[in-house]
Amino acid sequence: MLLPWEYGVRNLARRPVRTALTLVALATVVMLVFVVVGFIRGLERSLAISGDEDVVLVYSVNSEENIENSSIAARTPSLLAASLDGTMKRFGVSHVSPELYLGTRVATESGPGGLGLVRGVETSAPLVRRSVQLVEGTWPADGEVMVGRLVATKLGREPSELELGRQLEFEGRKWTISGRFASGGSAYESEIWCPLGDFQTATKRQDLSLVAIRLQPGRSPAEVQLFCKERLDLELRAIRETDYYASLQQHYKPVRVLAWFVVVLVSGAGVFAGLNMMYGSVAGRIREIATLQAIGYRRFAILLSVVQEGVLLAAAGSLLSGAFALLLLNGMAVRFTMGAFTLRIDSVAILIGCGVGILLGVLGSLPPALKALREEVATGLKAV
Amino acid sequence: MALVELRGVCKSFRKGDETITPLDEVDLDIEAGDFVSLMGPSGTGKSTLLNLVSGIDRPDAGTIRVAGTEVTKLSRGKLADWRAANLGYIFQTHNLIPVLTAYENVELPTLLLKMTSSQRRQRVELALEAVGLSDRADHYPRQLSGGQEQRVGIARAIVAHPKVVVADEPTGSLDTETSEQVQVLLQRLNKELDITLLMVTHDTDAAKIASRQLVLDRGMFREVGLDETSTVSNA
Repeated sequence: MLLPWEYGVRNLARRPVRTALTLVALATVVMLVFVVVGFIRGLERSLAISGDEDVVLVYSVNSEENIENSSIAARTPSLLAASLDGTMKRFGVSHVSPELYLGTRVATESGPGGLGLVRGVETSAPLVRRSVQLVEGTWPADGEVMVGRLVATKLGREPSELELGRQLEFEGRKWTISGRFASGGSAYESEIWCPLGDFQTATKRQDLSLVAIRLQPGRSPAEVQLFCKERLDLELRAIRETDYYASLQQHYKPVRVLAWFVVVLVSGAGVFAGLNMMYGSVAGRIREIATLQAIGYRRFAILLSVVQEGVLLAAAGSLLSGAFALLLLNGMAVRFTMGAFTLRIDSVAILIGCGVGILLGVLGSLPPALKALREEVATGLKAV
Repeated sequence: MALVELRGVCKSFRKGDETITPLDEVDLDIEAGDFVSLMGPSGTGKSTLLNLVSGIDRPDAGTIRVAGTEVTKLSRGKLADWRAANLGYIFQTHNLIPVLTAYENVELPTLLLKMTSSQRRQRVELALEAVGLSDRADHYPRQLSGGQEQRVGIARAIVAHPKVVVADEPTGSLDTETSEQVQVLLQRLNKELDITLLMVTHDTDAAKIASRQLVLDRGMFREVGLDETSTVSNA
């Protein structure tokens, strides 16, 4: 038989200051866990939704995994469109998007900005990148750009500096912002898109970085890959877009491992906070615990009651942090090497954060409870 | 058969290099309805005997049978269950749980027994009435006087209708007036509710209220008459 629930609850109020301080410590630890998990979930989601199963990327075989380093011939798109049967076509238009992709320093009207990601595209781009939606303004004409909704974060500037009509400066030219686009949280949202020809002129380049091809639904990229292998002179490689972003996920694996390591370290600190509080709490109740055993309560019931106290406190801290995380952290934009993404406090993050919190409660209360129960009842009854 | 039966009970302690044997081949019978007081000089093993009878300590040798159960053979968990159903414990310093009200403290032992909530409530109310504290049911221990706290402790000891109640110097931490009130209460519980009591005390006046007075000295029991009690206490 278990001890009354009220016993555990009211015990927490015995030392209100100590309990409050432990609550704050646990809530802080869980909040840090939410930050890390939200970061990982946001990064994973950004990469996961950036890929499309029916899109194949064709880029230089010499560029390894980095499309920024890729350089392919300007005639590649027309060669591909003419040679492949599986390309999506509508009203005589092939869904093929030639693109020039570059990381370059971007300045706003207020001053120098950070390193931006610029993609020169043609009007065929939205046919291939279907997640991209113009949410404000117009498609960019010559001398104009449209910006993703996370570009301000990526550049480290205020969103007001990227309003429609404001100017950006990169590659020695000024560009007027004509539109703003969203892409469901994908990596494109931290990019600046401008007309391909204009961008090639500004960068004094005639080549392309890649060609994105939308295949007919269910078609394999094998045909594109075969084309790349046959046309050795073009030095191309083809990869399904989802596989490309999956490889980027692998690229960021050390970051994720490091993030989880931070979670473990921070949680360790939380366990010590819990242990400190519960040792203090239980040490003053040795005689009480012996009394409960003398009355007839089993050790297991008392152990559960002490653990209940720790878990209750940790759960309160977790809920507090969870509420703060949902209100303040969820959707917060974060700058990262690959662009920018938003912290994601989803159900998995809540589950992990609260799970870690409750685990801290158990780990923090179990050793003090076991220590108290090791005392002989007869000796415990004499404790001061 | 006696309600409490001790046969050849031995208990030793190590204190540094020395071995102390307060109980050596002790035999004792307590009949149902008895009120036994146990006196003797400090360190003679009175509290040890109480702990052995209540199953919170184990003898080195011998058997202890309470209400037909050989408690020395029970596991730790079974002993806890047995205590819940058969034994009430009155502590010297009441040992109430400070975060629970008087009612909740008294209710604690009944939570270990199978009964409906209305039966439980009735038991607790009766126990509090028996010790004259019905009007203090919602008070926390810090809101009660020392005597009231001890009476709540007594109510907690009798609420589960145990077969035997052990009391370890129940008046030891009380002033004279309150001590007398508790003595009267214990006597009344023994006579009116037929509760079997085994009480360890240093207080000769408290010892006198018992129907049997025993003295434990050098590991042996000695039964004394009422007129001898004060002499024993001064030994």
